[in-house]
Amino acid sequence: MSKNIRNFSIIAHIDHGKSTIADRLLEYTGALSAREMQAQVLDSMDLERERGITIKAHSVRLLYKADDRKEYILNLIDTPGHVDFSYEVSRSIASCEGALLVVDASQGVEAQTLANAYLAVEHDLEMIPVINKIDLPAAEPEKTKEQIEDAIGLDCSEAILASAKEGIGTKEILEAIVEKIPPPTGEDDKPLKALLFDSWFDNYQGVIVLVRVFDGTVRAGKKIKMMATGNIFEVAQVGIFSPKMQPSEKLSSGEVGYVIAGIKSVTDTRIGDTITDVDIPAQEPCPGYKDIKPMVFCGLYPTIPHEYDNLRDALNKLRLNDSSFNYEPETSFALGFGFRCGFLGLLHMEIIKERLEREFDLSLLSTAPTVVYRVTKTGGEVIHIENPALLPDKYEIIEEPFVLVTIFVPKDFIGPILDLCQEKRGVQKNFIFIGKDKIKVEYELPLNEILWDFYDRLKSISKGYASMDYEFLGFRESDLVKLNILINGEIVDALSLIVHKEKSYYKGRELTEKLRGIIPRQMYEVVIQATIGSKIIARESVRAMRKDVLAKCYGGDITRKRKLLEKQKEGKKRMKQIGRIELPQEAFLAVLKVK
Amino acid sequence: MPDFLYVHIPFCIKKCLYCDFLSVTYNESLAKAYTDALCKELILKKDIAGQLKTVYIGGGTPSILPEECFGQLFKCLKNNFKFSDLPEMTVEANPGTVDKSKIGAMFSIGVNRLSIGVQSFNDDELRTLGRIHTSKEAEDAVRIIKNSGIDNFSVDLIYGIPGQTLDSWRDTLSKAMEFSPNHISSYELTLEKGTPLYEMIKSEETNPPSPASVASRCDFAKGGMGGFLANIKMPDEELILEMYGYAIDHLRGKGYEHYEISNFARHGFRCIHNLNYWDGGEYVGAGAGAHSFIRGFRLKNTDDIRRYIKDLNKGITPEAESTEIKRDDAIKEFIFLNLRKTEGISLAKAEEFGLNLPGVCRELIEDGHLEMEGDYLRLTRKGIPISNTIIISLFERLGLD
Repeated sequence: MSKNIRNFSIIAHIDHGKSTIADRLLEYTGALSAREMQAQVLDSMDLERERGITIKAHSVRLLYKADDRKEYILNLIDTPGHVDFSYEVSRSIASCEGALLVVDASQGVEAQTLANAYLAVEHDLEMIPVINKIDLPAAEPEKTKEQIEDAIGLDCSEAILASAKEGIGTKEILEAIVEKIPPPTGEDDKPLKALLFDSWFDNYQGVIVLVRVFDGTVRAGKKIKMMATGNIFEVAQVGIFSPKMQPSEKLSSGEVGYVIAGIKSVTDTRIGDTITDVDIPAQEPCPGYKDIKPMVFCGLYPTIPHEYDNLRDALNKLRLNDSSFNYEPETSFALGFGFRCGFLGLLHMEIIKERLEREFDLSLLSTAPTVVYRVTKTGGEVIHIENPALLPDKYEIIEEPFVLVTIFVPKDFIGPILDLCQEKRGVQKNFIFIGKDKIKVEYELPLNEILWDFYDRLKSISKGYASMDYEFLGFRESDLVKLNILINGEIVDALSLIVHKEKSYYKGRELTEKLRGIIPRQMYEVVIQATIGSKIIARESVRAMRKDVLAKCYGGDITRKRKLLEKQKEGKKRMKQIGRIELPQEAFLAVLKVK
Repeated sequence: MPDFLYVHIPFCIKKCLYCDFLSVTYNESLAKAYTDALCKELILKKDIAGQLKTVYIGGGTPSILPEECFGQLFKCLKNNFKFSDLPEMTVEANPGTVDKSKIGAMFSIGVNRLSIGVQSFNDDELRTLGRIHTSKEAEDAVRIIKNSGIDNFSVDLIYGIPGQTLDSWRDTLSKAMEFSPNHISSYELTLEKGTPLYEMIKSEETNPPSPASVASRCDFAKGGMGGFLANIKMPDEELILEMYGYAIDHLRGKGYEHYEISNFARHGFRCIHNLNYWDGGEYVGAGAGAHSFIRGFRLKNTDDIRRYIKDLNKGITPEAESTEIKRDDAIKEFIFLNLRKTEGISLAKAEEFGLNLPGVCRELIEDGHLEMEGDYLRLTRKGIPISNTIIISLFERLGLD
């Protein structure tokens, strides 16, 4: 039975056509009629479709009658397309025996392609190179093949030339999946061993988990155990996505499908966990499980204090479906009651913020993002600091997270990119040519340095051609200090920063200057100071407002005057009151503007 | 019942560059048709008004109307409205549109107050504003009015004009003093969106001119075309404040009472009509775009002059926008209107609204933005220039949305 199964995923850089290829495969195999096709079926969240990226993994079963007249079950396991979700990607990849490596014929290999392709190599996946968008005038399939061979060492002599948009190459892809990707090798008789690679909350069914069964079978009524968490559940239903949800009698070794087991919350499911039989457990779990922790944090506060409860409810609802972010209530002197939220990365943070504002109609004030710092206190106790304001005055050691950044860039732009990495305290680890005109560089950088403007600058320096990826290396000791911002003598905790000592004076000056530009004049003078410890390192002031326009009230048009005043007042609503001073929202993000 | 009547005359020889009031280019036949319509509206509204204490004919440029139209209008008023003793009857007059005979005719039909739109006695500034008259013509107009024997007239001035200096403002004020007017209005130039001046200033801000284009524009301006001066940028706010401060000190020194943010009068010559607006009183408005405040509703006639005439020819009241002033809005109006008067807000009246003003504005008083004297709470010299900000702060403190 499992001889007819092929489990595969699609590896591609954003916009290289992963979703369109998936659509074509669904269409060709008749999983969806043309009428049912809505472009990019797998990306079901609006936001995903808008941004053209895949956030959550899904899987779909395709039935394909191959040229050898046999019918095959092809399980397409979708992978998130962004670096923030690289662990989730690795678990999806671990569920497959093969992958399509899709590269845009006009863009060539990009950093993400490479990062995910390396993951696939690590997991011994059979990779099928697909050169997409060959219909474009700028397509250079031969050059693209050369880059793939150079960068990944993958033979491209049989690479499939495709245009998912035009429907070119779809059949060839399907045949290659059947021919080249090996069938799964598990055994039904062994104890149950299934890899959990995705989960989400459904309002009617509770938590749904997606699994790849390696050994054994799982069916309704079976008592299962999550090997990492130890949680035990009873299976209520199993089934597959075709792409519609279809219950089935069982999931056997080699199969991919869903399990519903009365799980209340996605926080009880860990991506990468192994599901086994309570009574006859597997000897060992699937390898590679990691307890992933958020690396990027920011404070989220309702602009209007009475929306606090709504914000909490909204965070709770989002968390139901995304166990990779977390939140804790926090109180800021400046901003009142809010939450400290942790995310896998910056994009993840942007997505959550956007969903909160869009889907829950909340008006949010967010503090600048920060990384998590590891601090060893004088007594030896180790704490993690997610909010710079909470850094204790005295400690033994402070460490910050470092990442290995991989950058792919056409050689013409390499100079300024190296400068950028230097400026960001980077240490070069690798520098190689890929093909004739692309370069791959690797740098070790503090995560903090790539949080803010790194990606934007990389893109602008390279006219959009550079791509990057990063992986977490660990915490390393750094010479860091806390920079406080005082407004009229009061520390505004939400503006505190942890910065590298060498850059602290510069940052303090830049930040106060930026704030001076952002804070509007008001009834009182606003004095902005930057301090390190008790030392003032920069000072700026915004003069008190001297005049409004003394518009006349004339000819009896009173309503107009009232509306003008109301409009002026409305503008103030978006400001946060700190003592007698009002700070606009941008003030809390001013630090992002400091280079 | 409202005892105050406003009549709008939406015609000018040419619209000034800064003006955003309702006004179109004057033509005689339209003006006559308009006067007919106006009289019809007045007849329709005659029972709304009580015994009129004031009639204020504003514009536009009311003084542009031919004598016969004035005659018709005043006849209509006298035949249809009741008047209190010695009503204040104001007409706005612009230099370049009045002569001895017209002024004489106005007085003979009952006009007893004139508000003269001088704006400046500096020719460059008048050009920047796009006024139709020179400073000499302005002087002539004021002299004619003064010599006609009327003592109740106002010289209306504007400060904060692009290119204006403190010296030129002083000169304008002292020139005005030569005519010893009993009333002076001194308005800060407000840049209103959509006016040509606004567009000119904004385009200057975004594309500073090259020296060559400045030179060519200077030549252009010398050629007598109004408006296009080289240095077209608003004076900085410190200078505007100095001009304002100078006007207050100077006029006070000359015996004028500073009774409203922008208005000064000798004893007994305050503008009763405008005071009624700031007191929150009711009034009836007639004419295109005219505002009324009656029984808690603020109404505004259609801005469309032809539509206005058409409706009245059909015998129907012209279309109007109507806004009901509910409690919160009434409180807001009460605060911002009364704070325009230098006398301030009557605390006793505030209490009638259920407002505890001394309770909420302690900080603003400590800062020196507001002060209390007797029953009144008012803006200080420091507070007046930022009155909008203080008013909004009061709204917030009172929990008004």
